[in-house]
Amino acid sequence: MRALQAWIVAIVLRVVHAALVELRVLDSRVAREFERMPDGLSYAIATGHRGPTLFVKWEGGKLKRLAELEAPSCALRIKSMPLSFRLFTGQMGLSQAYARHAFTMGGEVADVMRLARLVNLVEAYLFPKIMTRRIMTDVPETEVCFLRAYARIAVGFLTCKYKLSR
Amino acid sequence: MVPYFEFQNAVKLLCGELSLERISIELELMGASKPLMMSDAVLAKIGTLETVVKAMESEGLSPAATFTDIPVDSSLAVVNKIAAFYREQGCDSIVAVGGGSVIDTAKGVRLVLSQNKEDILSLSGLDNLVRGRHVPFIVVPTTAGTGSECTGVAVIRNDENGVKMEFLSPYVEPDAAVIDPRMTAGLPPKATATTGMDALVHAMEACTCQQANPLSAAYGTAAIRMIAENVEEATRNGSNKKARFAMALASTMAGISFSNSMVGAVHAIGHALGGVCHVPHAVAMTILLPHVMRYNLSHCGAAYAELLPWLVGADAAMATPANKRAEAAIDAVVALGRSLKKICDIPLTLKEAGVSTESFAKVAEVAVNDGALIVNPRAADEAQVIEILNAAY
Repeated sequence: MRALQAWIVAIVLRVVHAALVELRVLDSRVAREFERMPDGLSYAIATGHRGPTLFVKWEGGKLKRLAELEAPSCALRIKSMPLSFRLFTGQMGLSQAYARHAFTMGGEVADVMRLARLVNLVEAYLFPKIMTRRIMTDVPETEVCFLRAYARIAVGFLTCKYKLSR
Repeated sequence: MVPYFEFQNAVKLLCGELSLERISIELELMGASKPLMMSDAVLAKIGTLETVVKAMESEGLSPAATFTDIPVDSSLAVVNKIAAFYREQGCDSIVAVGGGSVIDTAKGVRLVLSQNKEDILSLSGLDNLVRGRHVPFIVVPTTAGTGSECTGVAVIRNDENGVKMEFLSPYVEPDAAVIDPRMTAGLPPKATATTGMDALVHAMEACTCQQANPLSAAYGTAAIRMIAENVEEATRNGSNKKARFAMALASTMAGISFSNSMVGAVHAIGHALGGVCHVPHAVAMTILLPHVMRYNLSHCGAAYAELLPWLVGADAAMATPANKRAEAAIDAVVALGRSLKKICDIPLTLKEAGVSTESFAKVAEVAVNDGALIVNPRAADEAQVIEILNAAY
């Protein structure tokens, strides 16, 4: 069961990165968050004990996915795989995860808040409202049809757009 | 009921008469003999610090060193400077005497020392620290409001960007807190009123935010009742020992409550007003509470309704129709603020606090990045924060 959860979480983490890249183009609020993001800001997201990870860095106007990150600006560690699975499959929002002590964080709280706003927007596009209403106090409206986001992400994966950066 | 919650309060509370005289034995039991006394210049000048030192010396323990140059709005640099001073002086423990700024600074110093670091900036985060070296640490609050003596968070200003940074870890909690009525006896009426309202905000946000849980609510509701019953009397008649002690206890209980369930938008916006416009924290809390409650009403009306009996008493709450209780809770908070204003002329609007509307955009930008906002019952973006600020103007 844990292996299956880890496998799904690994896929969702890749999709989250892809969605952030695409929504920066499609959604003005996501674009604004990135405009305000300091160059070099990086996030490390670790899930459970030796679970899948996502390392991303905002650098030179691009959100790069990295194989490793030595000193991330903000390091989130989800405390267990079941919690990670809930968080990344639309069963628990980031604010709920915070309220339920689901993760530890090294770095500035302000950077978590920035990430929380971005994740909320990503979830508004990726998950149906029937799910997002249960995990957010207020679900943001999508600026474009969610299918456009899905289509761009699919094309991006087919063209290897989200490969690891050096 | 929340599906999961955590609750921790490891602080030993020494409450009531002659509790200052017990500090020496508590330090001795923790193996400490060379405490660093931390306070601010005002408390040193008016003799509050001396009262504590004399009580300690009467029981055979003298401070190894004293640091009183802690500003009202302390910073990371001050924390690092005091940690270096502690090491130079060969101290082995900390006794902090003061309000929120002194206590949070002391928490930061303790964190730097116990984690064996030079710079507190490297320790920022949430539940991310391993237990370090034990540095015996006692706090003596001199206001009845912050509740900081019992919280697992230190809020310290980063001078580089003006942002109040949060250090959230169970290891910032002191070993003991001394709640002695002598410490708040000389608190001026305005400070009594606003710090009392600060404690009320702690309790009310703790009971209504997304992280609220049955244990935090037990402390929070008890604190609300004690504040509602005593804050006016403590403000009007500062020599009323019973009211003073009740407020001190209520503040501590509210601190335990919000330390285990967080706060919300009042604090997020209040921190930003402090960082950007230098509005004193307790004043910002007093002004913002009713406006944030109105903003949150659509999302947590039932929770506000449940607080009404604690604010106005069971009989008055029962006499209020069930569908009017949430609004009545807001009205009760507004009435309490007005009553305190009549007694000692505290500011109830941002205009009265000297805030300019031109600063609202910057305040909103900072507020949405404050961790307290993440558990507020209703999400808020910058435009919505500005709406709240306009309402409070």
